Amino acid sequence: MARLISFDIDGTLEVGDPPGYITMEMVRRAKELGYIIGSCSDRTVSNQQRIWMAHDISVAFTVLKHQLPLVKAEFSAEQYYHIGDTNIDQHYAERAGFAFLYPDTSVDHLWFPH
Amino acid sequence: MPKVIPVPDALSTPFWDAVNEKRLSLQYCTACRKLQYPPQQSCQVCASAAHLEWKDVNGRGHIATYIVIEDGRLNRRMPDQPYNLAMVTLDEDPTVNFYSNLPGTPPYAVPVGAPVEVVFEEVAPGQLIHEWRVIP
Amino acid sequence: MATQSQYSWRRDKDGLGVWEHRGKVAVAGVGHSPVDRRWDGVSMDQTLGAYTILACQRAMQEAGVTLDQVDGIICCQSHIAGASGGSASQWAPRPYFAPPYDSEWGLTLINAEWLIKQMQFPNIRYAPDNVPTISEMVGLAAQAVGDGLCHTCLVIYPTGNLEGRYRRGGENADDYARGARQWTVPWGNHGGNDFINIFPHNQYCLKYGGTHDDLAPFVVNQHRNGLLTPWGFNATHDIPQLTIEDYVSSRYILNPLRLWDCDRPVNASAAYLFTTAERARDMQQPPVYVLNHAQHNFRQRTTQPDLDEIEMWTDRAARRMYEGAGLGPQDVDIFNPYDGYATMTQFFLEAFQWHGVKRGEAFAFYAGDIRVEGPHPFCSSGGNLGNGRTRTAMYTDSIEQLRGTAGARQVTVRAETALAAFTTPSSGGWIMFGKHPS
Repeated sequence: MARLISFDIDGTLEVGDPPGYITMEMVRRAKELGYIIGSCSDRTVSNQQRIWMAHDISVAFTVLKHQLPLVKAEFSAEQYYHIGDTNIDQHYAERAGFAFLYPDTSVDHLWFPH
Repeated sequence: MPKVIPVPDALSTPFWDAVNEKRLSLQYCTACRKLQYPPQQSCQVCASAAHLEWKDVNGRGHIATYIVIEDGRLNRRMPDQPYNLAMVTLDEDPTVNFYSNLPGTPPYAVPVGAPVEVVFEEVAPGQLIHEWRVIP
Repeated sequence: MATQSQYSWRRDKDGLGVWEHRGKVAVAGVGHSPVDRRWDGVSMDQTLGAYTILACQRAMQEAGVTLDQVDGIICCQSHIAGASGGSASQWAPRPYFAPPYDSEWGLTLINAEWLIKQMQFPNIRYAPDNVPTISEMVGLAAQAVGDGLCHTCLVIYPTGNLEGRYRRGGENADDYARGARQWTVPWGNHGGNDFINIFPHNQYCLKYGGTHDDLAPFVVNQHRNGLLTPWGFNATHDIPQLTIEDYVSSRYILNPLRLWDCDRPVNASAAYLFTTAERARDMQQPPVYVLNHAQHNFRQRTTQPDLDEIEMWTDRAARRMYEGAGLGPQDVDIFNPYDGYATMTQFFLEAFQWHGVKRGEAFAFYAGDIRVEGPHPFCSSGGNLGNGRTRTAMYTDSIEQLRGTAGARQVTVRAETALAAFTTPSSGGWIMFGKHPS
């Protein structure tokens, strides 16, 4: 079964405001590795979708920060991860049963082939 | 989880001493016959300190309204989120109100308009704070 | 230099009558810096100091005024986030830079002394310290020019933020609550107008009917107006228009206060040139006259202000302003009250009875046509919600509407008077502008 990664945007992705650790290349690579990927952010859904379109990355989901339960309900995965830079990311991730990861070198292990 | 600990000062020490004895004691101007809380240097009606004294109140109130803190800024309370923050009016003088996390009431399930009674919670060794609990 | 605290300039009492300098003071120039979310810590042309200098230069250029013609500097030197601003409000303990950025001055704080030195103003004779925020600062400037303390005064409001977030760390990281915080923080109130206004807002819904989400059309309209403001954060950062669906699906901060009820912290500066009406008429822009300024500082009676208090305070502030301007609700064309949290604006609308809106009628008003091109162009500036937390859009839009230079935001109704404020219900001030001096 696939694993799922939810990305916060601002403070997490390189295209966020402020820019974060996760490059768009890392996002593409995660998809190639078979992860179900998407974003979970305070940006409006249309704003999130615009970012993915601008970088030509097709994602499985774009939700608001408190909507990770919807992601879990929709996608069956072996493991759920949310990468974000604030306590609110951690709060909502853990409430939804996601493993919370901070966007720094500590997430690199996700990109090792599994 | 632990709440933020109030630090008494010269003006508020009598109040917090009473709380630590599980008494709710408010400033009372005997000239204006007005309770006031938080304590102030002078009566908020006549602006004089000459008739201010401390008076124990009966600790009964009602929930006027409430919010649920989902994304606050206090480091110490973040693990508690979401939690209730109610505005409780004092029955003896409804122009006096208090904040309360309503111990025993789940988040989002606050009965607005319900009667409450004061209770006391320890936030640090030897330091209590006044809280309010819904009267069943 | 004068210290403004020795100068009795405030109009903060009831019953003062019409302002003695009504129509004799004018705004002749406006300047805005770029509006960033934060400072990157590297770009020295984007510091709060650099942005403040730029705003001043733009205001002077717009008016056609040179450095030697400016004899007054009124610059707010306080942190917008105060002691709970943490690392967003203070550069230290990080190492400082070469002068003039070898202290907090220029990085997170600006004062008249720093500005005068950097811009080399040669003829300043009035540059007070202890300057309050823009809500009162515009009143100080109007009174100072009216009283002759200076004749051509730059009014500067820097709104600094290093990180694009507020009130993280600092006092809010403390395990202890000292001073006034001992009455609020133990229960979770970190202190701010988010808390102050949400309880009365809830009581408002109970008393008059409606729900919190009845604010949605107002917030969406603020965003619309912000996108029509060329210098604002939303317009310059390609922020998409907020929809009703975006609003009602957004998460709660202090339930029912939603994410989009809150403004976005920014790093920016703005400047206004106040001068005598006589001088303004010889400058490059049509003068915008000051008809009155008023301040208020109401003391709450207990822990949390309730609806009765909020309504009483805003009613008093409105009466004070109308009395001093010699005008009434029917005379106010442009109305730009503060929207720093969306939950407070309704109280101002109803207190001032703009377009006849009375207590309990705000939500129905919001649901109507409040577009800037419509019959009820409410908050034509877009405020903080539409432009970022500069607290200045209300003043700039008011001036532009009266000049007829508001561009895509220009109202189609009469635009001869404007009422603007960054203020809270409990404290701050209002200013009334007029296209004509009387």
